[in-house]
Amino acid sequence: MSSEFADSGLMTAELLTASAELALPLVFFVPLLTALLVFWVGSTRAPWLPPLGAALTVAAAVVLIFGVANGGPQSHHLGGWQPPLGIELYADGFAAVMIALTAVVGLAVTLYAGPYLRGKGLSLEHFWPLWLIQWATLNGIFISADLFNLYVMLELLTLTGAPLAAMAADRAALSAALRYMLLALLGSLAYLLGVALLYGATGSLHLQEVGALLEADATAAIAAALITAGLFAKAAIFPLHIWLMPAHSNAPAPASAALSALVAKAVVYLVLRLWLWVFPVLLTAPMGWLIGGIGAVAIVYGAVQAMRQPRLKPVIAYSTIAQFGYLLLLLPLVVLPAAALPAWQGAAYHAVVHGLAKAAAFLAAGNMIYALGHDRLEGLRGLTPYLSVSMLALALAFASLMGMPPTGGFLSKWLLLSGAIAAEQWLWAAVVIVGGLLAAVYAFRVLAYVHAAPPSGWVELRAPRRLPRIMEWTPVVLALLALLLGVSGMPLLQLLAHGAPEIVTQWAE
Amino acid sequence: MIRALADDAVSGAATGAATGAATDLEIAALLWWAFDGLLALGLLGLAYQVVAGRQLFRSVVLFIIYGLLMAVAWARLAAPDLALAEAAIGAGLTGALLLSAYRNLIGTDGEEGPHAPITPPAGAPPMTVPRWAALFAAALAGLLVAGIGWVAVGLQPPEQTAGRLALEQLAESGVENPVTAVLLNFRSIDTIGEVVVLFVAFLAARVVAQELDHAGPGDWLRASQREPLLVGPLIAFIAPMAVLVTGYLLWAGGHQPGGAFQAGAVLAALAVLLRLTGRLRPRLEPTLLERSVLVGGVVLFSAIGLAGAGLAGAVLEYPPGWDYRLILLIETVLTLSIALPLALLFSGSGGLRQEVR
Repeated sequence: MSSEFADSGLMTAELLTASAELALPLVFFVPLLTALLVFWVGSTRAPWLPPLGAALTVAAAVVLIFGVANGGPQSHHLGGWQPPLGIELYADGFAAVMIALTAVVGLAVTLYAGPYLRGKGLSLEHFWPLWLIQWATLNGIFISADLFNLYVMLELLTLTGAPLAAMAADRAALSAALRYMLLALLGSLAYLLGVALLYGATGSLHLQEVGALLEADATAAIAAALITAGLFAKAAIFPLHIWLMPAHSNAPAPASAALSALVAKAVVYLVLRLWLWVFPVLLTAPMGWLIGGIGAVAIVYGAVQAMRQPRLKPVIAYSTIAQFGYLLLLLPLVVLPAAALPAWQGAAYHAVVHGLAKAAAFLAAGNMIYALGHDRLEGLRGLTPYLSVSMLALALAFASLMGMPPTGGFLSKWLLLSGAIAAEQWLWAAVVIVGGLLAAVYAFRVLAYVHAAPPSGWVELRAPRRLPRIMEWTPVVLALLALLLGVSGMPLLQLLAHGAPEIVTQWAE
Repeated sequence: MIRALADDAVSGAATGAATGAATDLEIAALLWWAFDGLLALGLLGLAYQVVAGRQLFRSVVLFIIYGLLMAVAWARLAAPDLALAEAAIGAGLTGALLLSAYRNLIGTDGEEGPHAPITPPAGAPPMTVPRWAALFAAALAGLLVAGIGWVAVGLQPPEQTAGRLALEQLAESGVENPVTAVLLNFRSIDTIGEVVVLFVAFLAARVVAQELDHAGPGDWLRASQREPLLVGPLIAFIAPMAVLVTGYLLWAGGHQPGGAFQAGAVLAALAVLLRLTGRLRPRLEPTLLERSVLVGGVVLFSAIGLAGAGLAGAVLEYPPGWDYRLILLIETVLTLSIALPLALLFSGSGGLRQEVR
C-alpha cells in the first residue's frame, strides 16, 4: 500500500517535471488568453472568470517551479527555432522565485480587487483585462531570454501599468499616470538603443549568447549605460524616482500593490539579470561602487521622504524607493569572492520578501481608505475596531520591511550584511544597518498613530464602512507569508541555487 | 547609410569599368550623396522645428511631414517594409491622432483658431526650463549622441548574425519575405506582444476617456448644412480602392514587402475617413462583433501557437506543410485586429456604428 503510494507519488513527480517545459509558455499565455476572454465575455456576465484564470495561472506557475526545483533550469525554444534565430524561454531558480512571488501576490490582488473596486464605485470592466495582461507580461519578463522580446514585454508593462495607475480618473491620478508613462517610454527608448548597439556588436539578442560574445569595450559600455539608465527610469531608482510616489499612491489599492510589489520590481530584476548574465565583463569594482552608491542614496533618500509624509500610501510608496536600493547593493558585493554568494541570496530573498510585505502594506492601506474614506495618518488615532486586523497586517509588513527578526526581511538583510562583513566592506554593512533603522523610524511613526488615543473632544461623525472579510484577511495572509519566510529560508534558497549566475558560482569551486 | 552608399559606389565603379560608363555612375553616386545629405538635413531641421515651434498646430503638421521623410529614409536604407509601416502608421495614423487630439485641446479652451500659440492654462506656473538646465541637458544629450555615433561607425560587423541566419533558413519558414518570416515564424511571440500593445492602448484610452462626444467630426451632417458635393463620389471611389490595397498588402506580405501591420494601417485609414465624413459614428461600448475582432487576432495566433506544442514540436511551431496557410490565415485576422483598435483610438470611442441616413 505504502509502496504503491510512493510509486504514484514518484510518477506524479516525473509527470510534473516533464510538463514543466510546457508550463514555461503557459505562465505567459494563460493569463493573456484569460484577459482577452474576460474582455470578450464582459466581466459583469462572468465574474468567476478572472479568479478562475488566476487559479490556472498559479497552477501553471506551480508546475514550472516544481520542474525547476526538481529538474534544474527549464528551457523552451519557441517555434522550435534555436537561438539566436528564435526566442528562448528560460526559467532558472531566480526566475522561478520571482514567478512564485508573482503568483502569490497576483492571486491576492485578484481576490482583493473585486470587492475593493466595486465598493469604491470603480469599473472592473477594464481593470480585469489590464491586470491579467500585466500578470502575463510580468511572467514574460521573468522567463524571456531575448533582449528584444524583453523590450516588447517592458512596453506592455508600462502600457498596462499607466492606465491601472490612472484608474481613479481624478486629476491627480491622471497627471501622475501620464508622467509615469512619459518617463517610462523614455526609459524604453534608451533600453532599445542599447539593445541595438549590443546586436550590432554581437549579432545576437539571446541573453547568454550576448554575454558570452561581449567584450569590455566602448560599445558595451555605452550599451550598458543606456540600458541601465533606461531601466532605472522605469524602476524609479533615485534620481529617476519622481514619478513613483504620485503614481503608486493615487492608484487604487490593488493596483498600487501590483505596481509596487511586482511591476517596478520586475524592472529591477531585469537590471540584476542583465548585469549578472550579460554585462559581467563590465562589472568591475568601481562600476559596482557606482551602482551600489546610487542604491545607498536611494535607501537614505526614500526613508527620509517616507518619514515626512502626512498620508499612509505615500509613506509606503517612498518606502519602495528605499527598498529597491538594497537590490542594487548586490552589484558592488557580487564581485568579491567572500561576499558573492550571501549577497546574491540576500538580494533575491529581499526581492521576494519586499514584494510580499509591500503588497500587504498597500492592501492594508486600501482597507483604511475603504473604511475611513481617506489615508491621513492623523485619522488613524483612536483606531476603529474594523481596522484592527488590517493594522496588524500593516505592522507585520513594516516589521519585515525594517528587517526585524524573525521576519523574512531580517533574513534577507542578514544575508546582505554577513556578505558585506565577510568581505570587510564596512560601508555597505553600514548602509544596510542604517537603512533598517531609518525604516524603523517611518514604520514606528505610522504605528504610533495607530496606537495613539483619539484627541480629546473627538466624535465620530461618520461610522467607518465595514470591510468585506476577504479584504480584511488578504493582507494578513501576505504579511504572514513574509513572516514565514523568516522562519525557514531553505526552500527558497535551494530553489534559487538552480542556474545561479557564473559570477556567483565561480568562487564556490 | 554611408556603408550602403559606399557599396553602391564600389559596385557601380566595378560595373562601370566593365561597360566603360564610369563617369555616369560616378555622377549617379554623387547625386545619391546629395539626396541623402538633403534628406538627413531635412530630418534634423524638421525635428528641431517640431520641438522648438511655439504653435502646436504647426508642430503637428511638421511632425507628419517628418514621418513622410522618415519613410523615404527607410526606403533609402533598403528597408521597404519599415518605409511602408512608417508612412502608414508613423505619418498617417499618428498624424490623424495628433490632429484629433489638437482639435479637442482647442475645443476645451474655446475657439482660439488653428494658429493659437501653446499657452499654459491661466493660473498655472509658466512652463519654462532654467537656461543652465537646458544647456546641461543639451550637452549631455550631445555627448551621448556623439558617443553612440563614434562606436557605431567603428563597429566591426560580427561574422554570424541572427539576421543572416534568418535569410539562410528562409526556405523553412513557409514564406518568401524575410520580414514576414521573422514576424510570423522565427520571432512570432514579439508580434503577439505588439498586437497586445495595440489592444492595451485601446483599453488605456477607454480608462481615461471622457464622456462620448456624440457630435464627432463632420459638422455638415447637421440638418441645416449639406455635405460638400464631392465627398460622396470620392468616398465611393476611395473606399473600394482602400479595401483592395489592404488585400494586396496582406497577400504581398508572403513574398515581398507588405503584411498585416501595413494592411491594417490602410484599413484603419479608411475607417478614419469614414468617421471624418460621418459614415461611421461613435458608440459608447463595443458590440460583440467588435470585441471579437479586437481580441480575435491574438486569440487565434495564440491558439495555433499552443496547438503547435502537440501537433509540432514546440509552442508557436507550425505543423509541417501547414506553415504558409496558417501564416496567411493569422495575418488576415491580425489585419482586422490591428485596424480596429487604431480606428477606435482615432474615434475616441468604445465602438463604431454605421450612420443611418
